[in-house]
Amino acid sequence: MDWTPPPRRSTAMRREQNLALVSAVVSGAVIATGLLLIVIGRVNPDGAARMRGFMLDLVTPVWSVVRAPFDGVGRAADWANDYAGAVDRNRRLEAELGAARAELQRAAADRRVLTTLKRLDKLAEPTRTLISTARIVSATSGSVVRSAMVAAGRRDGVIPGLPVIGADGLIGRTIEAGSISARVLLLTDPASRIPVIIERTGQVALVVGTNRPALEMRDKVGADLPLRAGDRLVTSGDGGVFPPGIPVGTIIDPQEPVLVRPAAHPVGAAYVRIEAAYMAIAQDAALPHYDAPVPIEARRSGGGSPAPATPPPVPLP
Amino acid sequence: MAAVRQHQQHRLPFRYRDRLMAWHAPPWRLMNAAERRRYWWGHWRLAVPFATTLLLMLAMTAPLLVPAPVFPHVALLGLFVWTTFQPGLMPPWLAFVLGMVADLLFAQPLGINATLFAGTAGFVRLFEARYGHHAHGFDWAVAAAIVIVFEAATWVLMGVGGQPIPLLPLGWQALTTMVAYPVVVALCARVQRVAFGPGVTP
Repeated sequence: MDWTPPPRRSTAMRREQNLALVSAVVSGAVIATGLLLIVIGRVNPDGAARMRGFMLDLVTPVWSVVRAPFDGVGRAADWANDYAGAVDRNRRLEAELGAARAELQRAAADRRVLTTLKRLDKLAEPTRTLISTARIVSATSGSVVRSAMVAAGRRDGVIPGLPVIGADGLIGRTIEAGSISARVLLLTDPASRIPVIIERTGQVALVVGTNRPALEMRDKVGADLPLRAGDRLVTSGDGGVFPPGIPVGTIIDPQEPVLVRPAAHPVGAAYVRIEAAYMAIAQDAALPHYDAPVPIEARRSGGGSPAPATPPPVPLP
Repeated sequence: MAAVRQHQQHRLPFRYRDRLMAWHAPPWRLMNAAERRRYWWGHWRLAVPFATTLLLMLAMTAPLLVPAPVFPHVALLGLFVWTTFQPGLMPPWLAFVLGMVADLLFAQPLGINATLFAGTAGFVRLFEARYGHHAHGFDWAVAAAIVIVFEAATWVLMGVGGQPIPLLPLGWQALTTMVAYPVVVALCARVQRVAFGPGVTP
């Protein structure tokens, strides 16, 4: 007999198969949702940023608690080091002090001259405003995004786009803010661009993160003066976010691509200053008013286009 | 012979389902308050793979003194290990949730890790059902291949998400992740023995 009976599926088998089918469908749906989220995030970055701010608020307090004992151990080690090397350091510092005093006197004279000149020129300078001093509670060490979390948020006046400055130099700028915590984009992130000035030559350039320990200097403007290893870079103040004169780093390799060692390390910094944007550019200042009422003369003459505006009077020097 | 079989049974991967308390519990109405409480708290093992992977992920955001971005992707390894250890407790939708948390923690565009984690969990599930035999070297090789594909896909999807990143650091991370595999697997195996090992009565 070549007739075989149809396979009899037990209830359990059928159940297993149904479950497998459901789980396959759910898996596919979940992966599709993920891809959709990437697209939505590209279309609506604000919503995604708000969600991340919320998440930040949840995680940052955890790390500030977890970190406390490690900070304590680090401080104890620092004290021990201080006592061990006190005599050597004292001698070295005394030698440095003489040179520094002479430098200081020259600098005081320069400052007096500079103040006079600025007063003569009626130079108005924006002031630096401290918004908050906060501690860095965590820094991602993954290789996708280089960012750190600080324990200050919208409640303290921290918003995205503020400069973050450590004791040794520039740390980065805030990119997201929750109510009690904010995320800082570090100099080493590939999305970071810092306008700098080379102290020795006065040339302007950009310092770009590459996700590696060293930064890269690009787009140098000006005469082709040779760079030297050891040239110091400070912020130029262009762009209106970072105040001028903050140390950014030191050139360690003057050949192309020019490599820069950052002045401040975000993890060693512990406490950072979050300042107001140096010269905040109003977001809506440049936008034309499309719904402005059309002048009555223009309506009478039949044309909708406004008359060419007269240029603003140029102030005499 | 029977002794050998019993010995082997202990070595078999433990499926949580066999010991799920709900299947042995008395009807709800017959339990008193204390028994009900015990019944609900008895489900904590369901969350063990999720919680372990979440802790590994939190460890990745720790403020460590590594100047280079070479910290291994231990969350991905945890996901892989738990999908092989307890497939029922690490389904793709749970991996999706973990991936969303990772996206929010690591400041990546939303959906990148979510997609990749869910895809990884689904792939490992299919692969284990067909080829898995849980030899350490074999699992290590599979994990290495998954890590390489994961990092490459991250690079592609970061571009799609509007934040293109350089490829080289991802390569370094892939290398360190492969090296870190034995450590993560040892850690998860320890957790597995404590939570699901022989002699554990739910």
